[in-house]
Amino acid sequence: MSTAATVQDLNRDLARRINQEARSNPHSPYANKFVGIANGQVVVVADDLDAMVRRLRQAEPDPTKTICVEASRDYEEVHEIWGLN
Amino acid sequence: MPRTEWPHRNGRPCIQIVLTLAADGQTFPRTVLADTGAGALKAGIEFILEEDDCLLCGGNPDQFVTLGGAYVGSFPIYVLPVQLPALGFAQNMRVVGVPSIPAGFDGIACFSFLNRFHYGNFGDPDVFGLES
Repeated sequence: MSTAATVQDLNRDLARRINQEARSNPHSPYANKFVGIANGQVVVVADDLDAMVRRLRQAEPDPTKTICVEASRDYEEVHEIWGLN
Repeated sequence: MPRTEWPHRNGRPCIQIVLTLAADGQTFPRTVLADTGAGALKAGIEFILEEDDCLLCGGNPDQFVTLGGAYVGSFPIYVLPVQLPALGFAQNMRVVGVPSIPAGFDGIACFSFLNRFHYGNFGDPDVFGLES
């Protein structure tokens, strides 16, 4: 397994745990926040996506070593894209 | 209020967004279908683009999203900077990366993005425009 894949696994696992915590506990410090993770660690927590990503890129310029999560969002929800034809 | 308009493509409304290539910082214009039927207002996704374009533009990975309808399954979200220079718009947006997009377009602008602006033909049936 490559290093990038390992880092991304760590990032995804942490993002999943943060979202789980935020969804189960409205008082979590991550609840309804945009969280930036790099190299398996939280590096930025912000109130809006744009500010979070700008700071995340400053902390880790390589996007393959980062992941974003909107804590409290239901990522399991199905979003309909109406037919294109 | 600033307004920008684009002629229809294949008889469908479209807009042109400007992305930035990660490798050299060059601009990367994309013409995308303006589709108010793509996702709901609070879907949290603003565009659907080819995943290769998301990677070329250095998109930061987000989570996966489940789509139904024209696209079915789980697809990765990337966060990348999107510009509409004529409107002075430049923000990081959530973009779904998919393997293929509708013929004749480079992607889809979803309802949650279009609804940030006033949108429509503004009295000219041959164009689609955005006004901020």
